Amino acid sequence: MTFRDMIDLAAGNLWRMKLRTGLTVAGVVIAIAAFVAMLSFGAGNQRVIREQFDELGLFSMVIVRPGEATDTTVATELTDSSITMFSQLEGVSLVYPYDAFQLTADVLDTQLEASAQALTVSALHTPFFSDYRAGRPFTSDSSHEAVVTSVLLQDLGLENADTLIGSQLILSVRQSVIDSALIHLLDLGDGGFERRVRAIEFRKLRDADYRDSILSAELGSAISRFVDGYMNATVPVAETLTVVGVLNGRRHGRASVKQILLPASIARRLAGSGFNIGNPSAMVTALASGRISFQTNGEDNRTYNQVTVLMTETASYEKLRDTIQAMGYNTFSFAEQFKEIRRAMIYFNMGIGLIGLIALITASLGIANTMIMSIMERTREIGMLISLGATSGDIKVIFLVESGVIGAVGAILGIIFGWLISRLGSTIVQTIMEHEGITPIDIFDLPLWLITIAFAFGTVVAVLAGLYPASRAARIDPVKALRGE
Amino acid sequence: MTTPIIRTESLTRFYQRGPHEVRAVDGVSLSVSTGEFVALVGASGSGKTTLLNLLAGLDTPTSGDIWSAGTRLCDLSARELARYRAQRVGVVFQTFNLVGHRTALANVELALYFTDIPRHERRQHAARLLEDLGLGDRLDHRPADLSGGEQQRVALARALVKNPTVLFADEPTGNLDSDNSDKIADLLIDLNRRGLTIVLVTHDQELAARCARRVVRMHYGKIVDDSSTEPGESAP
Repeated sequence: MTFRDMIDLAAGNLWRMKLRTGLTVAGVVIAIAAFVAMLSFGAGNQRVIREQFDELGLFSMVIVRPGEATDTTVATELTDSSITMFSQLEGVSLVYPYDAFQLTADVLDTQLEASAQALTVSALHTPFFSDYRAGRPFTSDSSHEAVVTSVLLQDLGLENADTLIGSQLILSVRQSVIDSALIHLLDLGDGGFERRVRAIEFRKLRDADYRDSILSAELGSAISRFVDGYMNATVPVAETLTVVGVLNGRRHGRASVKQILLPASIARRLAGSGFNIGNPSAMVTALASGRISFQTNGEDNRTYNQVTVLMTETASYEKLRDTIQAMGYNTFSFAEQFKEIRRAMIYFNMGIGLIGLIALITASLGIANTMIMSIMERTREIGMLISLGATSGDIKVIFLVESGVIGAVGAILGIIFGWLISRLGSTIVQTIMEHEGITPIDIFDLPLWLITIAFAFGTVVAVLAGLYPASRAARIDPVKALRGE
Repeated sequence: MTTPIIRTESLTRFYQRGPHEVRAVDGVSLSVSTGEFVALVGASGSGKTTLLNLLAGLDTPTSGDIWSAGTRLCDLSARELARYRAQRVGVVFQTFNLVGHRTALANVELALYFTDIPRHERRQHAARLLEDLGLGDRLDHRPADLSGGEQQRVALARALVKNPTVLFADEPTGNLDSDNSDKIADLLIDLNRRGLTIVLVTHDQELAARCARRVVRMHYGKIVDDSSTEPGESAP
C-alpha cells in the first residue's frame, strides 16, 4: 500500500462526511489562523527592528564609555588618544566621540536653547546620520555649515524641512574661563582683599582656635568666590553657520542625535576653549581630576563621556567588545542589544505559540472525536480491509493519515486566513499611524519559517490527536467487525 | 491423490461467552485438494463460518494446525498472515461488505492495494474482471445504485482480482433472490471448472448440491459427514 493509496483512501473517507469533516477542519483553521496572525505580529515587529538597526548601521556600532575604578583596576577616561587607539584596532572602520554641549541658537528670528553635537564629516556620512528630510550633510570639518534635526524643526514650530535649508544659524555660548575664577578667588577688586586682611585680629593669631576659625572661614570663602567667579564671569563666543540639511531626529538607546550637528572644528571654537556653563558637571569632573588649566587648545585635554566605534562588515563585535573591555572601558553594542530583543521576542512568540497550542489542542479534541465516530461507523469496512490483506499497522496508518489530512488542510486554510487577518490588522495599524502623523510601517510579517511551523504544528497535533482512535481501529477484531458487532 | 491446498488437523476454536465456553470448531481435521469445490453445510451455529474464518486467516485457532500449500498458518507472523490474505485467498461475504462511497471499480481495485501489483495496472485488472462478470457498464456505479446480485458480483470480482489460490464464499447467496442466487452459483461453478479451489459455506442444501462435488456437514463444531458427489446429485 503506497502513501498515495493512503491519501486517496483518506480523502475519499473524509469527503463522504463533508459536514463533519468541514466542522472539524474549521476548528483547526481557527486555531492555526490565530496562531499565524499572532506570530506574524511578533515576526513583523522583529523585522521592523532589524531593518531599522540595519538601516542605521547599528549592528556595526559599539558605544564605548569610560571605565570605573575597581579593586584591581583604575578608572579609564575617553580622550583623543583613546580614539586614536581604538581606530587602530583590527576591524574598526571609524571612531568618533559623542561631543555634545548646550548653546543658544538664533534662527529665523527665533532664539532658543538647544543642544549641539560635534561631528566629523566622515561620521556624518555613516548610516546613522543618513535619514535626511531635506538637504545634505556639511561638506568639511571646518565649513560654516550645520545640519539640524526634525526635533529643532518642531521646536521652531515648522513643518516643512525645506524652510530651514539655507537659513542663517547663529550659535552662541557663554564660556567660563579660569582667569576670571582666579581673580574672584583672590577677590582683588573693590578692596575686598585689603578689607579682609584688616578684619583679622593679628594679636589673636597665637590662639589656635582663632587661627583655625580664620583659616576655615577664608578657605570656604575662597572656594565660594572661585565657583561664583567661574560661573558668572563668562565670555560670549558665537559662530554664524548656514543650515544645509535637516535629519530625522532619532534616539536609539545610547545613540542619540542632538538638535544641531556641527563640524568638529566649529564646535571646538564654541566649546573647546573653556568649560561650557551649561555643563557644570564637566567642570566639577575636571576640577576633581586636576586637569583644569588656563585656556588651552591642547587636544589631549579633552575627555568624552562616550565614543562611537564603527566596525567593518566582516569584523566580529564580540572580539572588538572584548578587546576594548580588556582596555578597561565599558562597552555597549546594538548587536548584543538586538540579541536581547530577539530573546525577548522568542519568549513573546513562545507565549503566543502557547495560546495557539491551547486553541489547537481544543481543535484536536474535535479531530479525535471525529475519528472515533468514523471508526465506529466503519467497523465493518475495517474488517473487510483486514480480509483483503491489511495489517493492523496499515489500518493504524490509514486513520493517522486521515487525521493528518484534516490537520494539513486545516493548517493550509488557517495559514491563508491568518495571513488575511494580518493584512487586515496591518491596514488598520497603518491607517492609524498615518492619522497620527507617523510614517506607516508594516508590523506584520509572514516569513517562510512561520508558514512551515504553522503547517507542521497543525499536521503533527492532528496526527497526535488521531493516535488513540487509530490504535483503537488497529485493535479491531476482523471476525467481529465483519459480523457487524 | 491430488495435493491438498488446505489441511487442518484437530483444529479447535473456542470462545468464552460469559461463564460459558463455546466450542465453535471442535477438533476438525479437513483436507481440501487443489481444484476442489467443497461446501461446508450445517445449521446456524454449527461452526462453518468460524472454520472458514480460520482457513482464510481471519481468525486464529485455539489449538490444532492449518496448513496452506505446505505453510503452517500458526507459524506466520501477523504481517505474513496479512500477506496470505492479500495474495493467496479471496473471501466473499453474505453482506457483500462493499465500501458505499466507492464505485464498483474502486471497490474491486481496493483489493489490489495490498498486493504488489503496480498502481497503474490495478485499474485495468479490476475493469477487465468486472467486464468478465458482466458488469462492464456498471464500473462507475456506487453499490447503492447496483442490485443485490450485481453487488455480490462486484464483491466476487474484489475477491478474484488478486488471483487467489482458494476462494472462500460465506453464504454468498444469502441475501439474494433466486435468480441472482442462480447466477452467482453459475459463476462459482464456472470458476471452479477453470481450476479455482472454492470453499463454500452455506446452509442451503440445494446450492451445496448444485455447486460442490464434496459436501462437508458440520454440527456443533464437528464434522459429522464428509461425502463426495457429482455436481447436481443430492447429498446423502
